[in-house]
Amino acid sequence: MLHGLALVLAAGAQAAQPDPAVRNFIACPIVRDTASVPCWLAEYQGELYFLTLQTDVSAPVNPPWLGHRVMVEGRRSDKARICGGIPLDPVHLSVIAEPDASCNQILPAEERYNLTFEPPRPPGPSGGKLAFNTLPMPAQAAQVKAEVQHYTLNYDFNGLVNFKHPFQLAPALETARAMGAKRVEIVGHRGAALLSDGTVLQERSGLAQQRAEQVAELLRGAGLAAPSYTVRWIEATRTPNGVDDYAGRRVEITLLP
Amino acid sequence: MRLRQALITILLAGVGWLYALVSPLAQGAGTPDRWWGPGEDRTWPQRLDYEDGQGQIGVLRDGQPLATHDHPFFTALGPNGRACVTCHQPADGMSLSAATAQARWAATGGRDPLFAAIDGSNCPALPQDQETSHSLLLKRGLIRIALPWPPRGEDGRPIDPEFTIEVVRDPSGCNTSAEYGLNSSRPTISVYRRPRPLANTKYTTHQNFGVLPFIGKNGLPATRDPETGKPSAMNLMSDARAPTLKVQALDAAATHLQMRTPPSAAQLAAIVAFESSLYVAQSRSRTAGSLEEPDGPSGLGPAAMQKGEAGVLGNNTTRWVIPMENKWKSLPRGDDAAVNERNAARESIQRGHDIYMFRTFWIRDSMHLNSVGLGNPAKRTCATCHGMHMTGMDTANGWMDIGTTNLPWAKEEPQNPWNAQKPDLPLFKVTCKDRVAPHPFLGRVIYTQDPGRALISGRCNDVGTIVMQQLRGLSARPPYFSNGSAATLREVVDFYDRRYEIGYSEQEKQDLINFLGAL
Repeated sequence: MLHGLALVLAAGAQAAQPDPAVRNFIACPIVRDTASVPCWLAEYQGELYFLTLQTDVSAPVNPPWLGHRVMVEGRRSDKARICGGIPLDPVHLSVIAEPDASCNQILPAEERYNLTFEPPRPPGPSGGKLAFNTLPMPAQAAQVKAEVQHYTLNYDFNGLVNFKHPFQLAPALETARAMGAKRVEIVGHRGAALLSDGTVLQERSGLAQQRAEQVAELLRGAGLAAPSYTVRWIEATRTPNGVDDYAGRRVEITLLP
Repeated sequence: MRLRQALITILLAGVGWLYALVSPLAQGAGTPDRWWGPGEDRTWPQRLDYEDGQGQIGVLRDGQPLATHDHPFFTALGPNGRACVTCHQPADGMSLSAATAQARWAATGGRDPLFAAIDGSNCPALPQDQETSHSLLLKRGLIRIALPWPPRGEDGRPIDPEFTIEVVRDPSGCNTSAEYGLNSSRPTISVYRRPRPLANTKYTTHQNFGVLPFIGKNGLPATRDPETGKPSAMNLMSDARAPTLKVQALDAAATHLQMRTPPSAAQLAAIVAFESSLYVAQSRSRTAGSLEEPDGPSGLGPAAMQKGEAGVLGNNTTRWVIPMENKWKSLPRGDDAAVNERNAARESIQRGHDIYMFRTFWIRDSMHLNSVGLGNPAKRTCATCHGMHMTGMDTANGWMDIGTTNLPWAKEEPQNPWNAQKPDLPLFKVTCKDRVAPHPFLGRVIYTQDPGRALISGRCNDVGTIVMQQLRGLSARPPYFSNGSAATLREVVDFYDRRYEIGYSEQEKQDLINFLGAL
């Protein structure tokens, strides 16, 4: 039984027909070396797609892992190929938790596939800044109004909190402290995803609860003990459309004065 | 014949260093004795320098010379006769080398408090007068760390661990001991770890880059200073169990010193203040000469540690991990052979620095590196993980699994009919429970000599993760890695070369060794 993919369903009659530009699939990721940073690719129905480049922790899209399959939720773009692959933009990647030793392909660098642009950061030391300016900064106490505040955490498919979430949790924590939040409402959701071949994947049952309770536990564990907590979860998943299914995998945090 | 000569040379070199360890005469005029024992009436000067394996280690202190008499860092506060200084010796870069342990055994017939049964022996249940009962300390510089199972949270309550643990191999007998083991009335796991250097602490306890309320590797809450509530850098100790120097001192007082009541607030404050005043780095290289010349690289020597900015990322070309400014990139040669030799050694250190910063290789299947946004594998350099300015640590939450304790990469004694040597470290079988995903790179069953951070967090993904060590003063404190599995810097470099299939050339290896040895 594959952990995390236990609820693979056949194509659901209720699911919408996928957008023709959408490329949602599960495959082994492929690394292609270049003269600079490596590219990450994946093959689907005989075509090679470019997923992302190696950059750093600030990247909006982080590379997947060899040794695991990856769930790709992307849209085929008209941009020029990168490293031989058609760029997917936007793209969301979820590493499948169960190891898969067959995912083990590193292609050597070839002149024809070298990058035609400067990557956001080289494979070695940076020029003194992160590759992307995407990390949210904690709220300053003086800027926080004593009014209802909303935060949303998004998740990888079947995922719980990971390395990206500190940058989303920290602002919520700091804001709650700064505004002296009296109540924290947390709602967990789990999602479903429509693949391009019509398959519907549903996140494992109980995950909505697990996500909500984990966020409450993390906020309390970080010292936010004063407010009262309301923790809810919605086990039902919305009908996937293959376009923004990633948005269904989330936890909503509401801070109330 | 050549081999025999080489062996004799190595033996003589070893004897020479051991002589330096035990003989005050070998120190030169004005150099304090190497060994600082508990309860001595001495003065700790602003600057101490001691010969080490590669030249000379320097220990610089903020403030005035310190009288050690009655100072709690130098006082046996508990019943076993040990003080903090017992395992944190200036000549060993404020850590403890295996060579020093051997010298103390030779000098005292094993009666030094260093060899206290509680953790200076392989297990308290063993006959304490026998050298073999202290073999892990004597051979690998390891102290026994006894941790409760299941782990306890910060509130003292048991954590429900994500894995089960079995003892597969128990050379010391401690993990299967009816009194000290996993099935004792107080279930305990014994692992064996090197003492970490108590110096350059402004870097290990900083409140700067990467210190967040949530751990940057997994999103869980960071440990916090119990007094201020501020999140800690979680870079103290191999398993990050102590958020502050004060908490570490309390932990050490109860375990290593066996104090029955905690030290007083004044004693704790004095210990922390002393630890916070020390800066350690190599000050002289046997081949490259002084590492502190005014026109030399700005990142070498203990004064550089004192001046450096704490808690900032150095994996960049604006600040650097170890600033060298290419000062030793290309040095002149002349008629003076000694100067030529020195300049060649300096150029090697510079090349080692450049390899450290720029030589890429594929970093693969390393938990809390490949899992935190770079992908698996990541084509990066040494400085990617060892990125903190001045120390080469991770800036925060620095635990990773590079395979020093987890199989299949951990160094294991070959088992075959022709090898009489038996493994000396325990081996545990860890099985991740069905309710969690398997470890992403090691699967559901993991064999490990030391579960590392997982013995504190109870998390499957933390098995075998060890908080990265600072790279300063390395020449003074072999062996290396938390389990002392690398006897020399060459073995450290060889480990990485093998683990990540780097393919270093002999020249690259030697340059890296020279660079690391100069830190």
